[in-house]
Amino acid sequence: MLKEQIDALLDRVQKPARYIGGEMNAVIKDPSSVAIRYAFAFPDVYEVGMSHLGSRILYDIINKREDALCERVFMPWVDMADLMRETGVPLFSIESRSPVAGFDMLGITLQYEMSYTNILEILSLSGIPLHSEDRTWDHPIVIAGGPCAFNPEPLYRFIDAFSIGDGEISTLETIDVVKACKQEGVSRQECLRRLSRLRGVYVPILYEARYHEDGTLASFEPTQEGVPRTVVKNMVADLDKAAYPESVIVPFMEIVHDRINIEVLRGCTRGCRFCQAGMIYRPVRERSVERLLDLAQKLVDETGYEEITLSSLSTGDYSCLPQLAHELMERFSEKRVALSLPSLRLDSELKETLEETQKVRKTSLTYAMEAGTQRLRDVINKGITEEDLMSSVTDAFAGGWSSIKLYFMFGLPTETYEDLDGIADLAQKVVRQYFETPRNVRARGLRVNCSASCFVPKPFTPFQWEPQDTIEQFEEKQRHLCQIMHIKGVEFNWHEPQVSFLEAVFARGDRRVADVLEKAWSLGCRFDGWSDQFSFEKWMQAFELCGVDPAFYANRRREKGELLPWAFIDAGVTEAYLWRERERAMRAVTTPDCRKGCQGCGLKRFEGACEGR
Amino acid sequence: MRMLLQFQKGDIIRHLGLLDLQRTMQRALRRSGLPIRYSNGFNPHIVMSFASALSSGIPGDAELLDISLSGEVTEEECLEAMNRVLPPALAASRVRIVEDAFPKVTAQLRQAEYRIRLRGGDTMKIVAVIPAFLEESEIMALRKSKRAETMVNIRPMIHKLAVEQSGEGEAVLTVRVSFVEAATLKPELLLETLCAYAGAQRPACEIRRTALLGEKDGRMIPLIDL
Repeated sequence: MLKEQIDALLDRVQKPARYIGGEMNAVIKDPSSVAIRYAFAFPDVYEVGMSHLGSRILYDIINKREDALCERVFMPWVDMADLMRETGVPLFSIESRSPVAGFDMLGITLQYEMSYTNILEILSLSGIPLHSEDRTWDHPIVIAGGPCAFNPEPLYRFIDAFSIGDGEISTLETIDVVKACKQEGVSRQECLRRLSRLRGVYVPILYEARYHEDGTLASFEPTQEGVPRTVVKNMVADLDKAAYPESVIVPFMEIVHDRINIEVLRGCTRGCRFCQAGMIYRPVRERSVERLLDLAQKLVDETGYEEITLSSLSTGDYSCLPQLAHELMERFSEKRVALSLPSLRLDSELKETLEETQKVRKTSLTYAMEAGTQRLRDVINKGITEEDLMSSVTDAFAGGWSSIKLYFMFGLPTETYEDLDGIADLAQKVVRQYFETPRNVRARGLRVNCSASCFVPKPFTPFQWEPQDTIEQFEEKQRHLCQIMHIKGVEFNWHEPQVSFLEAVFARGDRRVADVLEKAWSLGCRFDGWSDQFSFEKWMQAFELCGVDPAFYANRRREKGELLPWAFIDAGVTEAYLWRERERAMRAVTTPDCRKGCQGCGLKRFEGACEGR
Repeated sequence: MRMLLQFQKGDIIRHLGLLDLQRTMQRALRRSGLPIRYSNGFNPHIVMSFASALSSGIPGDAELLDISLSGEVTEEECLEAMNRVLPPALAASRVRIVEDAFPKVTAQLRQAEYRIRLRGGDTMKIVAVIPAFLEESEIMALRKSKRAETMVNIRPMIHKLAVEQSGEGEAVLTVRVSFVEAATLKPELLLETLCAYAGAQRPACEIRRTALLGEKDGRMIPLIDL
């Protein structure tokens, strides 16, 4: 019945292919053959969610178990969501079109703070009570993971358990626990208690937060015996041994990253001080060339994709990149499989690799400069100099590239207007270099795409104590940038500071912003990451109705020693290391890549981490 | 050599447009291991063409794809290989191997057959006027193309319009219409014109394409049998 109801809605919505399923390599299992039915939700539309590598890894891992099945769930676009409400159709899984509320477990991935209202929308459309305390065994155990789980507090009421760190092993452990609890017939509360004893698992209902009069956190403690005081993140030590999908779903509709994605390494050792991913995904772990070639072969055979992407935080740092790229090109050129390297690092030895890839296609080159002057790049420990950029674009223009992307942030700690002027200066120099390249050598149609985003301080970075610029400060800087970025050949883009402001609130929020989130959702906020759906007015209304001051979270400088809402999590990097890095930042002193010498970030405390370094 | 692949566009994927189908077929062909011919040039692609693009929203029972091959394979090998790599909603039913010189299937297409299921509303009113509708020698309708809107006589483009079953407010029609470049009649336009003729509101309807036909010895037969 539900299947037909859904089918009838598909004639009335945009992009029905988002909801149809039936794609090649989708896994269909008989529900009666398994003990645990796991719904895996990505809180955004299909074409975004299907592009996420981590979700595909976990989908594969769960479905490899004989006693479990995993089906996909995405956030229906607003037209579909409204129709579902109107016609009483509950949120359903893609594979079997079953109601989400009937699954044993619901996993939700947290990639971006601005998807939080969609999580509430997913729970609501599913008919699952929003608050953990109101759920029974008639509802799935709701588990969330991903980078935003490193500060889980803004979602504490809505999620039963958070899984912190690498999910490959943790996901299986949580399934084991839920399966055993269901078989033994223990209470849901007991199941949550047992989950809380797993490494990396945080069950918010078992902890209590108290606050000082000034609003800062006074204490954060478990309320029961046997519940760990510190939640230690999970880490997969050996990526070659970690599971990786050898077959992936090939969607009918075009998705954002419509290609084979192979993760060459995890983690990053450069220590950019603004970068949360660079801190929480430590240590660096590489896959071997043999394993990667084997995976690439299998995925090409199984999907028929015409493009492979090597992905990681910093693919240019993969120690065998030239060898890998060369072998991939050789093996697949006959099958017309192109190779793209997305996060190019200009200071890596990539020249040869670039020459290999250009045999296939000349895409645009991306340089994440992040700041306009060397002083500010030293503050953020972005180890790239103007000379690096210029020598790389000189080679690129001479090699026939004509499209360059430059990424910057503004609102970084210690920033002055001189640093902003540096952004225009760099863009200008790139343009000049193009015109200095002989006309018969350079490709036509110079395009320098320059974008500046508002800095958002994140937990577990050396800038976690820093205030964010106010919206007014951002807007003033933006006006200045717009004036100085009128350069021929340069296109300048910026991001709305309102969204970054909210991102800052939720990135470093505590339990009290959970009420604001729920209020904003009830006022109609969803898809906040989509500019056509975002309503800053509704958000401000929600803060006011809840009596919560967003500036307390976004624009306040935290003192050394303040108990931070995420301090109960051991993310690998220690607070002492982060503070040390903050101090060096303020003095514009750089810290070398830890592959060149241990900086004592704290990861060495983890078994199997940093081995051979 | 070329492979003519007859496949279904199943109900669940009826909303896919031509580009989605193209991409899906190309990836399936790349997975198949069959000797596929690629175009030369900067951005090599598989040399293939659909006999007729099927509108988004309409499923098809026997669609046809014409694919260039670079080596020898049997029809059985092709059918087996394609069904191994195609999602169930795109299952292949037949394969025919033809020489490179064989005329293009798009050029051989003459007619298309549809099954239209009408439900509720004015369905019975529409069914009732069909005999009179077919007696007319001229039926004018507004045909919209990319360039212009023109009034054309669609009667000569209707080769069959039969009521397969009807009753209790439901009816199933079989229609066969012209599908050549100069005179193509889309089933939606036929239905719209028929409703206007009956003075009826368009009822809920499901349209599916059941056959693509070409001409051989004065008879219309499925394209793949030409």
